[in-house]
Amino acid sequence: MATLDRIKDLAAKEFSIDASKLDPAAPLDSLGVDSLSFIEFMFKVEEEFGINVSDEDLKGIKTLGDLERHVAAALAAAGKG
Amino acid sequence: MASRRRVVLTGAGVISPLGNSLAEFHASLLAARSGIRRLPEDVAQGSGVQVGALADWEPGALFSAAEAGNTDRVSQFAVGAASQAITASAIDLERENRERVGVYWGTGMGGAHTLEASYKHLYSTGEWRTRPLTVVMAMNNAAGSNVAVRFGLRGPFANFSTACSSSAMAIGEAMRTIEAGRADAIVAGGSESLLTPATLLAWQSLRTLAPADAADPAASCKPFDRRRAGLVLGEGAAAFVLEEESRAAARGARILARLTGYGNACDAVHMSRPDRGGQVRAMREALSESGLSPDDIAYINAHGTATAVGDVVECQAIREVFGDRPVRVSSTKSLHGHLLGGAGALELAAALLPFEKGMMPPTAFLEDPDPACALAHVALHAQAIERPRAVMSNSFAFGGSDVVLVAEQP
Repeated sequence: MATLDRIKDLAAKEFSIDASKLDPAAPLDSLGVDSLSFIEFMFKVEEEFGINVSDEDLKGIKTLGDLERHVAAALAAAGKG
Repeated sequence: MASRRRVVLTGAGVISPLGNSLAEFHASLLAARSGIRRLPEDVAQGSGVQVGALADWEPGALFSAAEAGNTDRVSQFAVGAASQAITASAIDLERENRERVGVYWGTGMGGAHTLEASYKHLYSTGEWRTRPLTVVMAMNNAAGSNVAVRFGLRGPFANFSTACSSSAMAIGEAMRTIEAGRADAIVAGGSESLLTPATLLAWQSLRTLAPADAADPAASCKPFDRRRAGLVLGEGAAAFVLEEESRAAARGARILARLTGYGNACDAVHMSRPDRGGQVRAMREALSESGLSPDDIAYINAHGTATAVGDVVECQAIREVFGDRPVRVSSTKSLHGHLLGGAGALELAAALLPFEKGMMPPTAFLEDPDPACALAHVALHAQAIERPRAVMSNSFAFGGSDVVLVAEQP
């Protein structure tokens, strides 16, 4: 499955939103995702892809699209991409 | 001086090993149907605990899959019981000033499942990662806070953690808060969900849990019986809507009972061994506050955990307060097990049976009463009672906290 689809699946489960309604460009807070929910979601993303997202990088992730790019880069850096 | 503000119970909710509604719970008690079972292997694991009383709980009706995964079982129980109580009370929260409606909750251990999952992962994998929601899922006040958030109850909030008297204390203090004019209604109760392998092991190490009855595991908890072998741990929740009486009457609410007495005392003697002195003082304080005499109490739902020492001490305390009066006594823990922080609330719900059905629930399996526990027991089967004026519910905790509630016929 493509990285974005895996991320969308995780987000759909975590936020109880239909995956088809998730717009990769939409800010997550526009979906009603608060900071605590976002941190918990990121924990699950890290588990799913076996990566670590630093506090610094976390601040730059505002959309699922941002997240996809970050995950792809992390996987590439780890030689998994 | 204005007359005392009085408090009534207008709704109740139950999640328990005897069913997930007040009606199912009452029906099981009247039929003396036990919810105690052999524990499944995945629950007991290496703890050595043989029996327990699990609630048959399915969160789907109240929680999405994601919400359920992010909410400890003890909080799910709390929301489940509170939701039933609010619905049963027919209180219209949309029309209430919810800054005058509070939540008072009790739990012994809070989010035990969450903590255990976190520690298990850390220590078994050596991987120092834990989910970010661990703190807010495990903290002791999460159960009550989940109720407040779910229903938007913005009035006074309190969480009590006094082991086995936690939820009785929550109800008693909620009564006082309404009497004092600090709230008009409070959702009060308690929940517990600690049937996890490591917590079971901790209890087993205390050597206070009953082994499985050889012939019938459902009959493993035998309060007041010569053959009693210890308590059986259970899980679940019970919640009530407490309201100031004139407001409840004005909206035509159905009144389950009037809550008129609350006694709170501490043994201050020992961490686990109960002491008659504190129990007697708590019973007398509850009676005194209600303005009733011992003659007015028709039925006592005893703490009665089925430990060797505890049952004797409680029976002595009851005799000291009630003398030779034939007040009827039972311990329904024989059927639903010991809900610890949820016990006081669940057993107050049991103690309402004389008002609701004109019946007293039994101490099941009490075939061979211990002479050291001589009282007017409601043994084996439910018994009818005519026009009970008032009932009492006892909750006596590790740490020596003694709480007694008195409820009167509406």
